[in-house]
Amino acid sequence: MTLGDRTKIVLLLAPALLVIGVLFSGGLAAALVQSLGYLPAIGRTEVSFAAYREVLGSRDFLDSLILTLYVAGASTGISTVLAVLAALSLRRSSGRVSAVVFQLPITIPHLVAAVGIALVVSQTGLGARLAAALGLIGEPREFPALLYDRYSIGIILTYVWKEVPFIALVVLAALRGVAGELEEVARTLGASAWQRFWYVIFPVIAPGVVAASLIVFAFTFGAFEIPYLLGQTYPTILPVMAYNEYRALDLGARPVAMAINVLIAVITAAIAAAYLRLGRDLGRG
Amino acid sequence: MSVRLELEGVSHRYARDGDPALADLSISVEPGELVALLGPSGCGKTTALKVVAGLLAPTAGDVRVDGRSVLGTPPERRRAAMVFQKPLLFPHMDVAANVGFGLRMRGAPKKDSASRVREALRQVQMESLANRRPGELSGGQQQRVALARALVTDPQLLLMDEPLSALDANLRSEMRDLVKQLQRDGGVTAVFVTHDQEEAVVLADRIALLFDGVLQMYDRPQAFYDRPASRAVAGFFGATNFLEGRAANGTVRTPLGKLRLARPAPTGDVVLTIRPEALRLEGGENSFAARIASATYLGTQVDYTLETGGARLRAALPPHVRLGVGEEVTVRLPPESLWTLER
Repeated sequence: MTLGDRTKIVLLLAPALLVIGVLFSGGLAAALVQSLGYLPAIGRTEVSFAAYREVLGSRDFLDSLILTLYVAGASTGISTVLAVLAALSLRRSSGRVSAVVFQLPITIPHLVAAVGIALVVSQTGLGARLAAALGLIGEPREFPALLYDRYSIGIILTYVWKEVPFIALVVLAALRGVAGELEEVARTLGASAWQRFWYVIFPVIAPGVVAASLIVFAFTFGAFEIPYLLGQTYPTILPVMAYNEYRALDLGARPVAMAINVLIAVITAAIAAAYLRLGRDLGRG
Repeated sequence: MSVRLELEGVSHRYARDGDPALADLSISVEPGELVALLGPSGCGKTTALKVVAGLLAPTAGDVRVDGRSVLGTPPERRRAAMVFQKPLLFPHMDVAANVGFGLRMRGAPKKDSASRVREALRQVQMESLANRRPGELSGGQQQRVALARALVTDPQLLLMDEPLSALDANLRSEMRDLVKQLQRDGGVTAVFVTHDQEEAVVLADRIALLFDGVLQMYDRPQAFYDRPASRAVAGFFGATNFLEGRAANGTVRTPLGKLRLARPAPTGDVVLTIRPEALRLEGGENSFAARIASATYLGTQVDYTLETGGARLRAALPPHVRLGVGEEVTVRLPPESLWTLER
């Protein structure tokens, strides 16, 4: 590539890069500045860590953080395991049916997914009525509470339903590539099914699995709408907590809202860094 | 102990209503023998190899090792190590771990397998690169490691699917010698798939030639030159001189003239073939006047096209015989070099 080509590419990409750059770093910078208490609009120009002290010192934040880690971790973990199993069982099928079944949830907005899950698992929903009709429970309202519950089962179910296909498609692509050929080699060298998975397939697909599940973790850690719709009132997930502070009539609460957002970004980044490192080590075998 | 491999009536179809990729293949490979499955691409040779490895189940027929059917045995227990066209080294393991893979899967003691890995790497001259990653090796080096990885497990069968076709010409002949030497030394029964007729001739004890999934001829390499089973087989091995004629009483009347045969031939319509290198520029029995129509110098030989009264013949002669285009010569077709095919 000559220098001219490179300049041309940079120039062609400039509008997109500019928008992304301004929205991303601009938004992050604004959040950071506001979290430090700098709000000239209401006459505050003093910079302090007061909001951080308030957030980190509060019981609410700790409860929310634990809940958020639990929801994001459980959703990611369950989705990843199911996705890898699904991809393993689907990789030999030529795949029209599986392709449709798998690509469908990806096209559906998270909000619609949440409504759909609520329709099925709420105590007045299809699942409850079906269970009652089958005589598994006496009345629909005896159906276990899976929405607005303390284990956030409705939220996790929605995420799993949405994210399994996403991870599975990534894994499937890796499996249908070189992993399949390597598996045949391992087979002729005497490796059993489990050995082939553990020593060959898993290390080969690990970097892809890690990357895809990391995206899912970062998303579920920072996403707002599904926990807002299906979550309990206390404690809430961090983004919902931030939103509630942001929505407060008192503009003075704004630094707290922004401090939570900055903390979400920092925690996500830290976990991502640790996780990518793990992926690299797994890939090395 | 080397084993005998037998394929009996092996057929395979990829689609239920499709043409068979392999039709009724029966060959037996003697203990320690190296057999080449030869044929153009898509002729079913890789299919046959995968059936032997157990990676494909035949739709009909049987595969036997030392007389016992192995169809019920999964590939991982067949002790049939396979080397593929691509090296397919495990990218997350170094060279030594790749070679030791099969031993590790079988739970061989660490100390014992380490010394076997070292020995295998020495045999393919890769011991100095034991700690490299596959990505740091050249294509030829990777294929050596793949070969060592297959051989170190002491397989009953060594199956090779065009392992040299991705290498460049120099490396290829070097690797060819290595494959042959390792196979001979180990005495392992081996099947080698190739589309390269020269490779098959150099490597194999016997060649099975397949066209469109059907076995055309199974014999020693020399036989494919001396006594090809059909015009197509002769053509695949580079024969270009075909003379149609009518045989009677040990002679064949052809457009060239009357040719005497050394071996008795059935009476009727036949095709005579003679290899370009068997033609002689001399008088005597079966000789005719000819004119040089073209000459191509190939370094180790010269290819001539000879125009006779009724036919064109190709002759390959040693390079010290230099004849110019247009020169008049006498060409002889020695009776013992003429081979009769049914028409």
